[in-house]
Amino acid sequence: MSKTGNKDKNLKTRAVEAAPGITTYEPRSEREFETKLMRLNVGPQHPSTHGVLRLVVDLDGERVKKIVPQIGYLHSGFEKTMENRTYQQGVTYSNRMDYLHGFGHDLAYVLSAEKLVGAQVPERAQQIRVILTELNRIASHLVFFGTGILDMGALTLFFYTARERERILDLFEMVCGVRMNYGYFRVGGLSRDIPDEFVPATRQFLSDFPPMIEQYKRLFAKNDIFVNRTKETGVMSAEDALDHGLTGPSLRASGVGLDFRKAQPYSGYERYDFDVPTADTGDAYARFMVRMQEMTESLKIVEQALDQLEPGPVKDPDRRISLPPRHELETSMEAVIFHFKLATEGFHPPQGEAYVPTESARGELGYYIVSDGGSMPYRVKVRVPSLINLQSLESMCYDGLFADMVTNIASLDPVLGDVDK
Amino acid sequence: MAVTDLFYKDVQELEEEGILFSTLGKLVAWGRSNSLWPATFGLACCAIEMMQSTNARNDMARFGSEVFRASPRQADVMIVAGRLSKKMAPVMRRVYDQMPDPKWVISMGACASSGGMFNNYAIVQNVDSVVPVDVYVPGCPPRPEALIYGVMQLQKKVRGEAFDQQGVKLPMVEGWRQ
Amino acid sequence: MSPTGSSAGSLVDRVTETLKSELSGKPAEYKGMVSVTVDKEQIVAAVKAAKDAGFNMISDIFGIDYLTYPRHQGKRFSVVYNLYSVGDNERIFIRVNLDDGVPLPTITGIWKGASFMEREVYDMFGVEFVDHPDLRKLITPEDLDGHPHRKDFPLGETPTLFNEGRFLDPASFRAGMTGEDTGMSGWTGGSRKGVTSDE
Repeated sequence: MSKTGNKDKNLKTRAVEAAPGITTYEPRSEREFETKLMRLNVGPQHPSTHGVLRLVVDLDGERVKKIVPQIGYLHSGFEKTMENRTYQQGVTYSNRMDYLHGFGHDLAYVLSAEKLVGAQVPERAQQIRVILTELNRIASHLVFFGTGILDMGALTLFFYTARERERILDLFEMVCGVRMNYGYFRVGGLSRDIPDEFVPATRQFLSDFPPMIEQYKRLFAKNDIFVNRTKETGVMSAEDALDHGLTGPSLRASGVGLDFRKAQPYSGYERYDFDVPTADTGDAYARFMVRMQEMTESLKIVEQALDQLEPGPVKDPDRRISLPPRHELETSMEAVIFHFKLATEGFHPPQGEAYVPTESARGELGYYIVSDGGSMPYRVKVRVPSLINLQSLESMCYDGLFADMVTNIASLDPVLGDVDK
Repeated sequence: MAVTDLFYKDVQELEEEGILFSTLGKLVAWGRSNSLWPATFGLACCAIEMMQSTNARNDMARFGSEVFRASPRQADVMIVAGRLSKKMAPVMRRVYDQMPDPKWVISMGACASSGGMFNNYAIVQNVDSVVPVDVYVPGCPPRPEALIYGVMQLQKKVRGEAFDQQGVKLPMVEGWRQ
Repeated sequence: MSPTGSSAGSLVDRVTETLKSELSGKPAEYKGMVSVTVDKEQIVAAVKAAKDAGFNMISDIFGIDYLTYPRHQGKRFSVVYNLYSVGDNERIFIRVNLDDGVPLPTITGIWKGASFMEREVYDMFGVEFVDHPDLRKLITPEDLDGHPHRKDFPLGETPTLFNEGRFLDPASFRAGMTGEDTGMSGWTGGSRKGVTSDE
């Protein structure tokens, strides 16, 4: 097939009339066929790039031949800033990285810090952490669907998913007072216990949500346009995916059933019974459907966690890590000293390094924290899923249409705060 | 005719001093304030809250921001939502320059207004150093209701009903004279 | 693909043994995390051996700058390769210790996904990777000179200004709080500094 894709004419020669009634064919010169790739800048300010992602795309007509992602337009120096804050203050930074699944980042950071310092988190705190993280995963997937379908041109689904997301954010506001960018997890547990109205409200949400998933499916899952745009678009085989370091629902859509909640359970995930949805095709449609199924699984986890919730403490009682309760400050001098030291300096973990891999809505997330014995971490390295997942964009989009590139970015679900750290 | 020439001369003189014709100017300002179309400049977490302010519960479309135009050439107001990194600052200036007059800027969130919690080498510490800001909306992130309040303050400013910190009335429609 | 129920550390033990014997690696273990330190000439062979043995996913590559680490003997930088095995559910960290300005061979030939990770190490620490297909800055602006995550690169904090001309210098405020430096506040903070695990 020649470069211009025209199969039926032989473009190497040109018909010339040598004499009346006689046609000969003379060869065209090579220079007439020279096609150049067009370099297009899909700039940082763009409605469809999920944030400030800049792609320099080489196009051959409408086919994408090369993508070079230029990132760093949201670089905020998280890691270096976290090295200059105490461990408890690091919680305020971790959820601003992936702001859609803030609790996932908080959980990963807090788990690594707890591994370093040797904290024992009580069971109630673990269960509440799991409930909030899974609800946040559902909220993140709702935004994924809303903006993903919005990138493909359909506006309606965004308002439907936003309606459900508002209800989840109401639940979060009940617990921690903020809708987004929470400061609720602490190293050693939670900052305070959940209010009484949280459990009935969550149960009400759990019973209201599954019909909504059906509604979303009716809205787009069998829509011809959606199916045609996403089936067989951006196919990633399992070997290719592992080669690029892809993790999360995008990897599970390629057939590899890796989920760190099952593989290396943390924070009590081994007590819950849930499935890990996978798909075989590895195309954009599979990536969408895997996340749809994941929302149902998250609902199961939240329900089981709510059933297993028992009254108890929510903080590690070790005074060297958690602040003592306020009533003790009136009577005990040691409590005042511990409070003072913790509030000003923070705790000092022993020297060492810790890494706990968790599963965020986008993939494997882990905080590698190096401690030098001081009250601030020496080095915080965040293994962010979106940055590593973005590398596979080029092989997904190669030789696809330009419009398919938008679908592929949407199905890969990058969050630029996560990418640029 | 001489009278019309004088008329236009007077209009030009008055315009240069920044005084607009009262009823027509007020009408135009009212129209402008009630149809502020934002340009999408969502950067980080505040962008999600900006998106949430357009959903069914907190509907910003009823205040006139019917659509968020992706192209800056069709937008009136640029809501800088999120932390502005130093790599993105020239891009933002260029997007601002591409917006036609009259244009306004709302700085949404703590990171856009002052650098927020990111006091480091990578974040611009006040968006005002890149684009002239009209309204600051504090919060991390500001609730959708707070953003809508900020938009309403901007509408007041556009109409000429807003006051600054010292109690001085702000002039109407600043964007004309640039 | 569920993880096999093998006894904890079998794949990791095998790979650690291989690296120790053939490539003069030095293993270490801390709270269940196994790390093997190899020399920089053997890094590609070590990573290849790990991949052939079963560690089929590269999870992360990052650097650590030990310039201000208390009582640190050894080279300044350390580049850590975080490898994970999907089938056996095991994780291993392979480390290389480097001085300033020493280049490392690239492993993008073994895993394509290492390309962004190595670019980030180059951007943040200045460690060059030989034969990398596209070695340039990843997330910092083009006009930023220097490598931000090095310890001698300043954080770049601007002082907090108050209305009456007061200002707070964040670095000294924080150092005073955490006891590392008296700074402007003059408070010496706590006396526990640099607690190690054997104290």
